Amino acid sequence: MAASLTGLLKPWTPRVLLVRWSRYNPYYLEPEPRKEVYHIPETELTPEQKEERELKSVRPIKAATNSVTSSVFNDPVLSKFVNMMMKDGDKIIAKGIITQTLENMKRKQVEKYHKAPEGKKAEIECNPYAIFHQALENCKPVIGLASIQKGGKFYQVPIPLTDNRRRFLAMKWMITECRDNKHRRTLMYEKLSQELLAAFSKEGNVVKRKHELHKMAESNRAYAHYRWW
Amino acid sequence: SFENRLAFRWFWLPEPVRPLHGSGCGQQQEAVGMEMRPETFSIFRTQENDPDCQSEQHQGQYYTVPPSHFHTVFPHGLPPRYQQQVKTFNEGCVMVRQPALELISHLKRADYSKPTLRYLLYGVKGSGKTMSLCHTVHYCSTQGWLVLHIPDAHLWVKNCKELLPSSYHASRFDQPIQASNWLRNFRTTNENFLSKIKLRQRYVWTKRESTEEGQPLGELVDMGVSRVKSSSDVVGAVLKELRLQAGGTEGGFRLAVAVDGVNGLWGRTTLKKEDKSPVAPEELTLVHNLRKMINNDWCGGAVIATLSQTGSLYAPSSAYLPQELLGEEGFDSMDPFIPVPVSLYSEKEFESCYLYYLDRHWLQHPHSQTEEGKKELIFLSNRNPSVLERLCAFL
Repeated sequence: MAASLTGLLKPWTPRVLLVRWSRYNPYYLEPEPRKEVYHIPETELTPEQKEERELKSVRPIKAATNSVTSSVFNDPVLSKFVNMMMKDGDKIIAKGIITQTLENMKRKQVEKYHKAPEGKKAEIECNPYAIFHQALENCKPVIGLASIQKGGKFYQVPIPLTDNRRRFLAMKWMITECRDNKHRRTLMYEKLSQELLAAFSKEGNVVKRKHELHKMAESNRAYAHYRWW
Repeated sequence: SFENRLAFRWFWLPEPVRPLHGSGCGQQQEAVGMEMRPETFSIFRTQENDPDCQSEQHQGQYYTVPPSHFHTVFPHGLPPRYQQQVKTFNEGCVMVRQPALELISHLKRADYSKPTLRYLLYGVKGSGKTMSLCHTVHYCSTQGWLVLHIPDAHLWVKNCKELLPSSYHASRFDQPIQASNWLRNFRTTNENFLSKIKLRQRYVWTKRESTEEGQPLGELVDMGVSRVKSSSDVVGAVLKELRLQAGGTEGGFRLAVAVDGVNGLWGRTTLKKEDKSPVAPEELTLVHNLRKMINNDWCGGAVIATLSQTGSLYAPSSAYLPQELLGEEGFDSMDPFIPVPVSLYSEKEFESCYLYYLDRHWLQHPHSQTEEGKKELIFLSNRNPSVLERLCAFL
């Protein structure tokens, strides 16, 4: 009986050998990467947490993916950006480009900071992460367009966008802009840092594209009632 | 504030305002004391900017290289990432560390009528050998020595586009570009010596050009910079003249030969002759002359060298000891030498570096300014200076 049970406990059920997907047996539990959870002393655990810990000590646990860290410097938005920039699964190159971008932005800003007079110093933002997040916010469109068929013709109808879709569009525009519209000899990190700094101060091609989308949505207001959801 | 809390943890006392050895140091302290900002004193900075007066009490602290000295003393020779850092922070600060202090104390007490002593800085990758060398070079130039700084000997044994057969010696090869670049930087570093040193021999370059005896060294160097074809031979002539005149009693100067990546002089090169056979290092004029300089058959100066795996050819990346990197031939030529090990940052030095980055607004990530972030930095970098620098660059 034990042999048949362990036969059922295989981590994968490979009918077909899948390279990209991982289909774990549902018996396996998710790993917990956050450090704070393990620092709670025994006495302060709630009954549910105690139960969960006991369960974890008997059940097998899935292997953690490469993008999961317990580091304090982990940033989910940045990880998503790295994944979007990745080509052919080469995350090392994508992560390298992003770190060079952050360093480049910080260098430019810190140089400006050290050369600025005392009054202007407080206005210069030196934190590359803050600049990145603010720039992304400035690039996110508020309203999008969908192609809806009515009476044989397709109309561009303004629709609300979910948060995920907005974030995705902002990142996608940023990456395509930096890949396509640059001089042949500029490196990706140089162009990305220029675009992010421009987007931070609401200039540059990416916010221009966002404004154009907004204008198109505004001009197509009449078709808004074609949306049924 | 953050710095003050750390100040009490480390129990560092402010520098005593008593005159140290040497006449210049005491007055300097008083004068500088007037300009000190009335804010909290910084643990990681010292106002003692003269390498002569620095001692063990300044270990771990950063001193500023005066901007006027920067372009004359270091036209080449600083690591590229450090140059970027200087440009960003608008100041050049070097940490006073134990290997450099040891070297400087040896240089102060050495007897310069005896044959030259050779000092070799070795350590793991990124532990601060080049920066210690630059600190020592700064000391030598503030003391008025003539400094011969070769930024990286590996640059002379690889990636050479033009390899001319030498006019002086049939089987050797010249490297005009590298030689003329080096001469230009040499001219910037040692402007004041160029007119004082006179040549003791007549040098003939071509049928129509020659440099007479008694001409100042500056003319020789200018000729090498303008006539690129014979610049390697000019380098050889300059080195020979300096070797002869270094220990001289009349108008004698002290000569410091600082070579970074000295293990490139022995070993293999990646250069090839026209028939695709490899070039040995001794077949290059520059390397041949530099090897003669490193021999201890002259007196009146010192040879300070650094090993480097980073630019080296055909050396495994885990090798850092002199025996491994110099090879048999190199070790026999360098023997006897004074080894100076360069270690990773100690706890005090790491704290100092961390505080310096905080002060210069380099650590911007909110978590990097907490205790946990600091522990993570220690763990990720293992206190290796260059790894820490690269980590803090994007944090």
